[in-house]
Amino acid sequence: MSKEIDKAKIKAAVKRRKRETYKPVVPATQLGFIHHNVDCIGCRACEIACKDKNGLAPGPRFRRVSYIEGGVYPDVYAYKVNMSCNHCAQPACLPTCPTGAIFKRASDGIVDIDSTLCIGCRRCEAACPYGAPQFDPGDNLIKKCNMCVDEIDAGRKPYCVMACMMRVLDIGPIDEISDGSFQTTAIGPGDMPVKQVKNMADPELTKPSIRFIAHSKGGVQSKQ
Amino acid sequence: MKCRSALILCIYVALLLLSGNIVAGNTEDKTPDYLSARWNPLHFKPAIDYALDAQCLGCHQEVLQRKPLSQSPAGIKSSESLAWYQKDETYQGEQETFHRRHMVTSTAKRLMKFKCNTCHQGHDPKDEASGTTDTTQKDLVLRKAVNPDICLMCHGKFDYKVMAGLTGDWPEVADTFNGDCVTCHKEFRTKRHKLNFLNEQEIEKAGEKDSNTCYGCHGGRAWYAIAYPYVRRPWLKRMPGALPEWAKDRPTEYTKRFTK
Repeated sequence: MSKEIDKAKIKAAVKRRKRETYKPVVPATQLGFIHHNVDCIGCRACEIACKDKNGLAPGPRFRRVSYIEGGVYPDVYAYKVNMSCNHCAQPACLPTCPTGAIFKRASDGIVDIDSTLCIGCRRCEAACPYGAPQFDPGDNLIKKCNMCVDEIDAGRKPYCVMACMMRVLDIGPIDEISDGSFQTTAIGPGDMPVKQVKNMADPELTKPSIRFIAHSKGGVQSKQ
Repeated sequence: MKCRSALILCIYVALLLLSGNIVAGNTEDKTPDYLSARWNPLHFKPAIDYALDAQCLGCHQEVLQRKPLSQSPAGIKSSESLAWYQKDETYQGEQETFHRRHMVTSTAKRLMKFKCNTCHQGHDPKDEASGTTDTTQKDLVLRKAVNPDICLMCHGKFDYKVMAGLTGDWPEVADTFNGDCVTCHKEFRTKRHKLNFLNEQEIEKAGEKDSNTCYGCHGGRAWYAIAYPYVRRPWLKRMPGALPEWAKDRPTEYTKRFTK
């Protein structure tokens, strides 16, 4: 073995190392949300339960129920789309973070943020296609839904799910939700979960762990 | 006589209305409030397409002024903490917010020409979804102020699968090409970066100097799982009849918003 230091080789190795890219975490199981757009009555109990649990002042909203209403009489429609963090398979927020505050759990794929490590650069907020990271102007930090990770670890479901009086919001292994094998009241007989609904950013961007039961006027044909 | 009186009356009424408008306008300008500002025509088409940055920054100046905290609540110093992509030569200077990184830092000023309305295409206080009863605004994306497809143009994956001769992501194959993108790109896709938010000449110069600069946008900051489907270019003329499967559905021109 040569003891000579090959400077060119070292230089090349350093350059190679600098070109290293981020490798996404592949969890053992990926938990995700299911929301029934049609049966949701838009009471926003999930939003309030979330704000209560996370002690959020007016402003940041981890979860948001969007009211979609349209059409021309008599062909009118109304439905709700309910999203918080979608705990994406390949989250866009995670690689942007310069301090490593955002991480994805290897056990269940939950994307969490340790806000004590956040410097408030707001890159994650810009990169997320679903508006999940929320800036809190009170302390200039980013905060987001962590699927009530303490509840999950205690074997319970998140506050938003527990608060849903119509039982149209639920969590479960996303593969089982997708193939219809997950037992939940959020999926009715004959309902087919879809990856995307109208006005939602392309799910191929980050592969979000959420499925919807779409309204007949709210589906996106090509993504179903 | 009657006609003249009517004319004078009309002129008087018109002047009165005009002065009323001017006064109302002045009052509104002097005391802008949040609720009325949300309905400012600048937030809607077509005015937003012609909005100057100075007009946007008149109210939103904080987006370019605000800087990240010098340290996190747990004591992580901003100056000592770098993400993987910030260890590349293309990253310079202290931690900045994304708005400043795209508009006012030295690299941004050299390579980019972003304006507020390059990304922001307006909103509607009544509704956050397009195609509903309450809004005529198009392309609204739920929970977002900007359509992420715009971000994808520079923050998509390095699309090695559609590049003949590449067997893997750039970090894996760079050595084969002596780390030089221009080895192939002096032949392929030579018409590039001709978009109104990019400083074409400076980008080309930077790319010739160091290919890491190219990778800085083309894969080195890939937040998203997919690549941006760049438009098909006339290189197909060099290979008549060659139209690979991946290129079949691609447009041949960029949307006019980015080229005019």
